[in-house]
Amino acid sequence: MKVCYSINGKKKEFEINAGEVLLDVLRRNGYFEVKGNCYMGTCGACTVLIDGLPYTSCTMLAAKVDGSEITTIKGIGTLQNPHPLQKAFVEKGAVQCGFCTPGTILVAYALLKNNPDPTDDDIKKMLDGNLCRCTGYVQQIEAVKLAAKMLKKGDE
Amino acid sequence: MLKLKNVKSCFTPNSIQEAIDMLKKSDGKAALVGGGLDITVFPNPIIEQFIFLNKLGLTYIREDEENIKIGATSTITDIAKAPVMQNYLKGNVKIALAEIASELLRNQITIGGSIARHHFYSDIIPALYALRATIMVSDGELIEGFFVDDFYRNDLKTLMETCIVVGVHLNKYDDSFQFGLKRFVRNATDIALLNMAILAQIEEGVIKDVSISVGSRPGPAYRFEQGEAFLRGEKLTEVLAKDFESFTKSNVDVAKDMRLSKEYRQHLAGIYAKEILLDFIGGVR
Amino acid sequence: MKDFKHIGTNTGKIDALSLATGQSMFVDDISFPDMLQLKFLYSPHAHAIIEDIDTTLAEKYPGVGMVLTYKNTSRVIHTTAGQGWPEPSPYDTYMFNRKMRYIGDRVAAVAAETEEIAQEALKLIKVQYKVLPAVLDMEDAMKDEAPIIHDEPEVKGAYDPKRNLAAHILVKVGDVEKGFAESDVVVEDTFEVPYAQHCPIEPHVTITYLDEYGRIVIRTSTQVPFHVRRIVAQVLDIPVQKIRVIKPRIGGGFGVKQEIILEDVCAYVTMKTGKPTRALYTREEEFVSSRTRHQMKVNVKIGAKKDGTFNAVKMYVLSNTGAYGTHALTVASNAGSKTLPLYNKAPNVEYIADVIYTNLPIAGAYRGYGATQGYACLEQVVDEVAHKLELTPLEIRQKNHIKSGETSPIFRALGEGREGVTQYMQSCALDELIEKGAKEIGWLEKYGKKTRNGSKVRGIGMSIHMQGSAIPLVDMGAATLKMNEDASFNLMYGGTDLGTGLDTIAAQIVAETLGIKPEQVIVYAADTDLTPFDVGAYASSGTFISGGAVLRAAMKIREQIFEVVREMFGEYDARDFVLEDGKVTSKKTGKSVTLSEIAYQTLYVKNQHQIAATGSMVSPYSPPPFAAHFVEIEVDEETGIITPIKYVTAVDCGTPLNPELVRGQIIGALVNGLSYALFEEYKFTDSGRMIGSNFMEYRIPSTRDIPEIVPIIVRTYEPTGPYGAKSVAEININGPIPAIGNALYDAIGVRVHKVPYIPERVLEAIRNKK
Repeated sequence: MKVCYSINGKKKEFEINAGEVLLDVLRRNGYFEVKGNCYMGTCGACTVLIDGLPYTSCTMLAAKVDGSEITTIKGIGTLQNPHPLQKAFVEKGAVQCGFCTPGTILVAYALLKNNPDPTDDDIKKMLDGNLCRCTGYVQQIEAVKLAAKMLKKGDE
Repeated sequence: MLKLKNVKSCFTPNSIQEAIDMLKKSDGKAALVGGGLDITVFPNPIIEQFIFLNKLGLTYIREDEENIKIGATSTITDIAKAPVMQNYLKGNVKIALAEIASELLRNQITIGGSIARHHFYSDIIPALYALRATIMVSDGELIEGFFVDDFYRNDLKTLMETCIVVGVHLNKYDDSFQFGLKRFVRNATDIALLNMAILAQIEEGVIKDVSISVGSRPGPAYRFEQGEAFLRGEKLTEVLAKDFESFTKSNVDVAKDMRLSKEYRQHLAGIYAKEILLDFIGGVR
Repeated sequence: MKDFKHIGTNTGKIDALSLATGQSMFVDDISFPDMLQLKFLYSPHAHAIIEDIDTTLAEKYPGVGMVLTYKNTSRVIHTTAGQGWPEPSPYDTYMFNRKMRYIGDRVAAVAAETEEIAQEALKLIKVQYKVLPAVLDMEDAMKDEAPIIHDEPEVKGAYDPKRNLAAHILVKVGDVEKGFAESDVVVEDTFEVPYAQHCPIEPHVTITYLDEYGRIVIRTSTQVPFHVRRIVAQVLDIPVQKIRVIKPRIGGGFGVKQEIILEDVCAYVTMKTGKPTRALYTREEEFVSSRTRHQMKVNVKIGAKKDGTFNAVKMYVLSNTGAYGTHALTVASNAGSKTLPLYNKAPNVEYIADVIYTNLPIAGAYRGYGATQGYACLEQVVDEVAHKLELTPLEIRQKNHIKSGETSPIFRALGEGREGVTQYMQSCALDELIEKGAKEIGWLEKYGKKTRNGSKVRGIGMSIHMQGSAIPLVDMGAATLKMNEDASFNLMYGGTDLGTGLDTIAAQIVAETLGIKPEQVIVYAADTDLTPFDVGAYASSGTFISGGAVLRAAMKIREQIFEVVREMFGEYDARDFVLEDGKVTSKKTGKSVTLSEIAYQTLYVKNQHQIAATGSMVSPYSPPPFAAHFVEIEVDEETGIITPIKYVTAVDCGTPLNPELVRGQIIGALVNGLSYALFEEYKFTDSGRMIGSNFMEYRIPSTRDIPEIVPIIVRTYEPTGPYGAKSVAEININGPIPAIGNALYDAIGVRVHKVPYIPERVLEAIRNKK
């Protein structure tokens, strides 16, 4: 069957299998920035935003979100023009192996959209589905707070 | 990896009637999909067809004088963040919901899906038991309300072949009511291995009415009626809380598996029973 | 201490922005249209012989490229341990074999056009097993009547396979029995540490293909690209020359990728079919069929004088290597060699280890590498000695720990599967670590106070640790630098950054040495065709060995630059030259020339040549980093639930080359150790099948599980390391088990002898006490 998404602002049409999950559709079509393969929604590396909310794309049926707006990490900033979150993650040492980073940043992005001044606790609650085995999370939490500060200063 | 390789078609009906017609025609081979978490994590090879529920207008949280009405496709996040839930039973229901699993999954788990699957996922079912929620079920023509107990007394499988859970109604409770939920998890985002929810009406220090539910994975949650009988009409004191702890330990029915022994779960259930009552005493003061 | 421009600064990790913006950098971020997908069939029996295997139907299944079994693959016995040659691990493994040794052992594999086809074809393989009695328990496996797991005559290097003994170690210094007899107190205890997994979020993945000349390219998530090349050549029986291994970014390793698991099979398929081939482990395979931490039972006996001085220390380790002996000997060696030298005052020391084969998943290298298990016991027994002598945990350690200028006979007696190398401590801030950590946790105010709130009691505990920096006189790394017109430099080195930031500190070292900015260093690493050799990322060797190689190469470049400047300036004493801010200036004459001008001169104008150099690093030194861990916990006496409140770790890693990255290593290892102490553990059925091989059941921590963490970096200068640096990646995983164990004792006077400290176990210990 055919589905139609708007991915990072661009209209895309894909031929999919009705039983497929979104992660597989995205990676097959070259969206390698979406990681993960637990297929249980347990690691969060495959996070994408669907109509602005973060979901694990490994548990999201591709057919169900036909017509949706999908945002991957490439949709919020680029190497040349990174989002403050991406800059803050670099500055705070919050990127080690980087495999979980795209998913984690996308969740943080959704958080800051609704809560521009989050507490440690807000951040911990929001990021609790994005497993990271490298950092122990402390620098990630610091990075989200730094990004919030940067955004308030208008560093968009 | 394609897990659901037998699925050949997807439908997104625009009305409940349409959805039920499709369901009936499917010969047991269709799956109703709310959030879709369960179907992707535990794929069932029998399924050949998806019926997506997202266009039925069932994502809402409303209130009237007597009830909070939650649509079946509302997610845990939707419910926990709804303004009406912030002060409902002192915010304790919201807090319980917000601790289930992880943010990413809370965004996907729907209340209808949790009910229809009678799922060990989360603390939703014990909470609904204790809250004496009414589960709204539609056969396409009529919408019928069931108390949670009555709903699960049905043959769920047969019922779900011809009906759809369309929502849940929660009674509004006045200040004489208190709600508490305790859970045991191996770490924060774990799915509870044991949980207990209690709703009690306390007037002049006496427990006038109470409902209690206990869930222990992998078994389904149940209503702890002996515990209710034990408490009903009693004066709420620390002594009662202690007595109720031992009563619960010896009378509660819990499952066991490799994760946690039966003995430990009984022990925990007793402690939770006591702690929730002690919290209520604090709340009355 | 010398002032540095780039050393000790928080240079942003050079690959971080690319990772944070989702560039295609990992193994699986490429694809080929005709790529075959590899899937494995696993043994359902813990111990069995394949009597027959019929792959006819699978081979005929449309879309299948190749079916692999013991019948049609190369039969070379080897070890999968990615260690230097000759490997100290036994040769006990074939690519495919008839003998199945655990549930999850490889029976066969199918390479097909899609994963789905491969999976379907696997179902068509018919296998007849002769099931053998299995043994899952270490002690049972040592009994005379136990089934022999490795009974094939080709097995080489295992200590006594007929007794299921993969390795055995016995090291004696002085006479412990005499030492115990002459001690005022003797304390002995045993702790058991379980099977656990590394859980890199990216599982093992390999893509292989043929290049334009028919050579095999292996793009793989590995910590050891050069060992991959050597071992794949060995297994496939082809020259090293035919293979190129590329390590792109990898999604975490922690030891589990110091192993050749997928590479040989993938390369074999590509060699036979000519097609690109991809193998990607699922999370379940990562748990069951990759590698784990060695389950160990550790017994420590300490004899001490009244004043607290240790007189004799004896450690016995029973280690479970599972079905194969990869890292069997060396992990067990490290359980002693990375722990016992810490208490060098004891004149009598004995270390014994038995490493046992069982029919369970394969243990391997895991951050901490045996030291984690050793400390789990040692640091609790040290506390027990203190209690018996009515000394505080701080006092007993201050009396006995190793100090600057000192050595321990264990360094020489116990190496990595052979004799070690004597080490004298040149930097050791343990006293300061203990002092600062104690102050931060509030030791004086809190220790022994047992503050109670209902059923919840607070307690604090501590432990001290050392590790090493690479394997002395074994580990070697090399680096090549070359100069470009704009004074940028290409750094090509074998160092294998697995997310730790090694590539970044390599750039910092070059920048510091050559007076340029880290951004001017173009780092290309870990490609066996294009970079010089390096043993890879293990044994805490990155900073010390790979970083040391980079420093040596940069020092040579400095000399070459000065050689050109001598001629340009007409001056001959390089001591007058100052190389900084991208130029060389003579202090004597004030003459100045930019590096860019030097590059143009040497490439195009006069006496043309490439300024380039290669440096190698191998060292007789392996300077240990040190750490002091302090934790405050709250334990609920009614439920047995332990909640860590605050964790302080004071660390001496020499010069922190990049403090923010050092913090990341400290906290990351610590949180991994915390969850190992509190909730991570494998569970098996009676038949040896792992239960819950996924993240739903095997819980690893999330943001909501971490306590307040305070890392304290105490700066020292290690003269043998690059710019004074020692390692830091592993050491901090070792603290949480003993520190929490000691805090639990402080709170409620109970010790739990089996890790993790899950509530049910803690409650049982509380009840047993009563």
